[in-house]
Amino acid sequence: MSKLLDVRDLRVRFRLPGNFLSMRGKKPSHVDVVHGVSLDIERGQTIAIVGESGSGKTTLAMALCGLAPVAGGEVYFNGRKLQQDRNSRLNPDRKKVSLMFQDPVGSLSPRMTIRQALAEPFLIHRVAGKNPEEQALRLLSLVGLSEEFADRYPHQLSGGQARRVGVARAVALEPDLLIADEPTAGLDVSIQGEVLNLLTRLQKDMGLGIMLITHNLNVVRHVADQMAVMYLGRFVEQGDAEEIFSHPRHPYTAALLSANPSLDPDAKLGRIELIGEVPSLLQRPAGCEFRTRCPRVQARCKRSFPEPATDTDGHTFNCFYPEPNSHIMLL
Amino acid sequence: MNTPLLQIRDLSVSYRTGLGQLQALRHVSFAVPAGKIIGIVGESGCGKSTLISSIMRLFAPNAWVDNGSIVFRDKDLLGLSPDDMRYLRGNEISMVFQDPMTSLNPVLNIGRQMAGVQHRSSSSRADKRARSLMMLERVGIPDPASQLKRYPHQLSGGMRQRVAIAMALMTEPSLLIADEPTTALDATLEVQIIHRLQELQRDIGCSILFVSHHLGVIAELCDEVIVMYAGEVCESGPTRDVFFQPRHPYTQKLLECDPARIQQRTRQLPVIEGSLPNLVDLPQGCIFRQRCKHGIARCATERPLLAGDRHRTACHLSGTGS
Amino acid sequence: MAGLADTVVKTFNGLKKDPLGMAGFVLVSLLLLATVFAAWLAPYDPFEIDVHDRLSYPSAAHWLGTDQLGRDILSRVLLGGQVALKVSLVAISVSMAIGFMLGMLAGFGPRWLDRVLVISFDTVRSFPTIMFALAVIALTGPSLNTVIGVIIVTSIPQYARVVRTQTQALRERDFILAERAMGASMLRILRDHVLPNIAAPMLILASMDVPAVVGMEAGLSFLGLGVSPPTPSWGSILNDGYSYLRNSPWPIIAAGLPLIAVTLGFTFFGESLRDIFDPKLRGRSE
Repeated sequence: MSKLLDVRDLRVRFRLPGNFLSMRGKKPSHVDVVHGVSLDIERGQTIAIVGESGSGKTTLAMALCGLAPVAGGEVYFNGRKLQQDRNSRLNPDRKKVSLMFQDPVGSLSPRMTIRQALAEPFLIHRVAGKNPEEQALRLLSLVGLSEEFADRYPHQLSGGQARRVGVARAVALEPDLLIADEPTAGLDVSIQGEVLNLLTRLQKDMGLGIMLITHNLNVVRHVADQMAVMYLGRFVEQGDAEEIFSHPRHPYTAALLSANPSLDPDAKLGRIELIGEVPSLLQRPAGCEFRTRCPRVQARCKRSFPEPATDTDGHTFNCFYPEPNSHIMLL
Repeated sequence: MNTPLLQIRDLSVSYRTGLGQLQALRHVSFAVPAGKIIGIVGESGCGKSTLISSIMRLFAPNAWVDNGSIVFRDKDLLGLSPDDMRYLRGNEISMVFQDPMTSLNPVLNIGRQMAGVQHRSSSSRADKRARSLMMLERVGIPDPASQLKRYPHQLSGGMRQRVAIAMALMTEPSLLIADEPTTALDATLEVQIIHRLQELQRDIGCSILFVSHHLGVIAELCDEVIVMYAGEVCESGPTRDVFFQPRHPYTQKLLECDPARIQQRTRQLPVIEGSLPNLVDLPQGCIFRQRCKHGIARCATERPLLAGDRHRTACHLSGTGS
Repeated sequence: MAGLADTVVKTFNGLKKDPLGMAGFVLVSLLLLATVFAAWLAPYDPFEIDVHDRLSYPSAAHWLGTDQLGRDILSRVLLGGQVALKVSLVAISVSMAIGFMLGMLAGFGPRWLDRVLVISFDTVRSFPTIMFALAVIALTGPSLNTVIGVIIVTSIPQYARVVRTQTQALRERDFILAERAMGASMLRILRDHVLPNIAAPMLILASMDVPAVVGMEAGLSFLGLGVSPPTPSWGSILNDGYSYLRNSPWPIIAAGLPLIAVTLGFTFFGESLRDIFDPKLRGRSE
């Protein structure tokens, strides 16, 4: 049984607007936003892609949906290799892969009612045997919204309600893979659970695979089976989520975990403080790209990018001087 | 010093909207002691923004103070003349906003903006520049001299926020109001900035009113915390007490819902059922009643008052609500 | 359609608060009514010549006096309004329709198409309208249809450019990306998602364009390049009146007033509409 999604060494490169300096080679002509990413997901699994600004996680999601040009690597969906079109964009079956955007209200067309927005996928793909209007109402109730929302416009919805509409639209055609970009961003803590619980329920009912793009580690711990930590376009640690939480090996992962503190005012303020800020994608540090901020950096880190190493519990990480292989007091 | 730096008493503010009078703040009372960091926690609609704009007296055109006082040192800010208020702002009371891109002037370079903040000082230009450089260094900006010539859009988000903090603290105010200063930043960046803020606060000795919905940062940073819901203070007190022994049902549920708090891995995350009450057409009794699992008859008729010693709650059930 | 009723209500509520806008609306309505019902309202046949009563001042018989051939000015002005109406309706709707299509293509389509279109727009715009009109009319002879044609061609670039800019701005918005992610075709995106979102600002711009178009027609007719006599147009009445100014100022006043009314009315009304529906546009109007 082939994997749902198999990504091998994916690269996304954007051309920079050219100018005199770039012609003479003095200024870079392109930027690598996704710099060689490999992952795989099985049906019904959830993988979380965790990273901060500049990590490339949203671009990764866009590339998989054919919204960003692919410069290298291969992507297999249900065993079939995805081809690229004239603009180097991947060509997935849009009925099988859907994308939920970060801005729930902004991703809905402002002058379309919710009913029209939910009916649209059926019209675009001319799905036979399904009445778009009926389907729209069915989807509304599937995500727990009453029928009165059908005639509202996006700006009349709260953040949480709009997100649920986003979920409804994303699962309209019963895809195999749902990519959710920051589904909890901007939501109050007391209602974050609504969206996540909804996704979990739908996953169970529909056998959905979910790729969750987020910077909210606390949520990842609860809902993800697999996870991958992304920095400057590359994965630095990936594997089983629970294992990584218990035994983070890469210093960046450890820093991320410690940056999301528990609510214990007595906990030692042992938050790992990184040095400086994320380097620009245009000036990638040589060797291990995290070395400019790493508290464990040594001379060797400058010479080459670390090959993946495997932890005793199976997950992989890219570091010459990883965190010690033992329990780290966390959260 | 026994008198608090800032004392808010029974503050009620509403907005005149097309749908009626929206009561954004109701009977809010709390105190900010000198030299302490006070956190304000609340979700959307709790009234944090209205509270801050009230203290700074930067009201929206349709805002209306129904009653209450905001006493800073010994003066009621609500009664001050605009000129006196203007004197306080930026000098004694400073603010750091959530989005540094919009709070910094995009057409002036950093050096000019930082010199501009010092406009009341009579020192020379060279002195002002030296002071700017010193502040930039204290907020952790590398090579401050070259940053003075740059413009806000040339700096990263983290840098901009550091500059904003430097500018806010340059006049060594007694009170710094920080409105979600790290919400828009990455978590690893937040760590750095919070540490710097702590250092500066210790050096300058100012009080900080820190508004955030990030419970973890509040727990780490604040001496006391005020929990707000739908325009009212529902609980307040020393951070340890409130987070370890929350008394108000809302605080309890809020802490329950934070995924960081949940030790056992779970696929079914807790939520608070229901939604915010209508602030134009307020329900009778306790504001949280509709979403509270523990209500008694009294909750539907009588609004609970904030009561207690250092750890105060507005709830009939915690025994001190009358 | 719920949307339409809402829009009408919103418009009226907004106008009630804006006296200038309301005045503009009233003016525009009166003008439209007078123009549409010109044939019934005109007391005389606009072509009826009465040489004995030339260039008379306003009287009970002729409210605005008579022109150099004794024709009733009021009737001629009313009929001239129909010319103005016809020209604005046809010219603006056609140039807007074409401008929309070209603008959306330029904003959404491939870059090479955008470049070609932008160069064509700029080329057309760099021609002074009058010179262009003169050149065309030298070839085809003066006629109202030629005037309409010239106005259409010279108006397309301004609509196309605005549509192009709005389309480009929309192109990167999340909901457009979401449509692409769902597999919607470019045609569907333009028709269902771009068009409705830029239609409102465009209609407002169009209403503010009416004075310019009417003025252009009046100007060309004034130069004798537009309507052929004896058809009245405000511009041709002005032209005639100019020659006989010493005898009677009334032709000029009578033809000038509606021009002023059109300009004031549509400008106030259009600006009010813009403030009601799209305050963001405020900074961009000239």
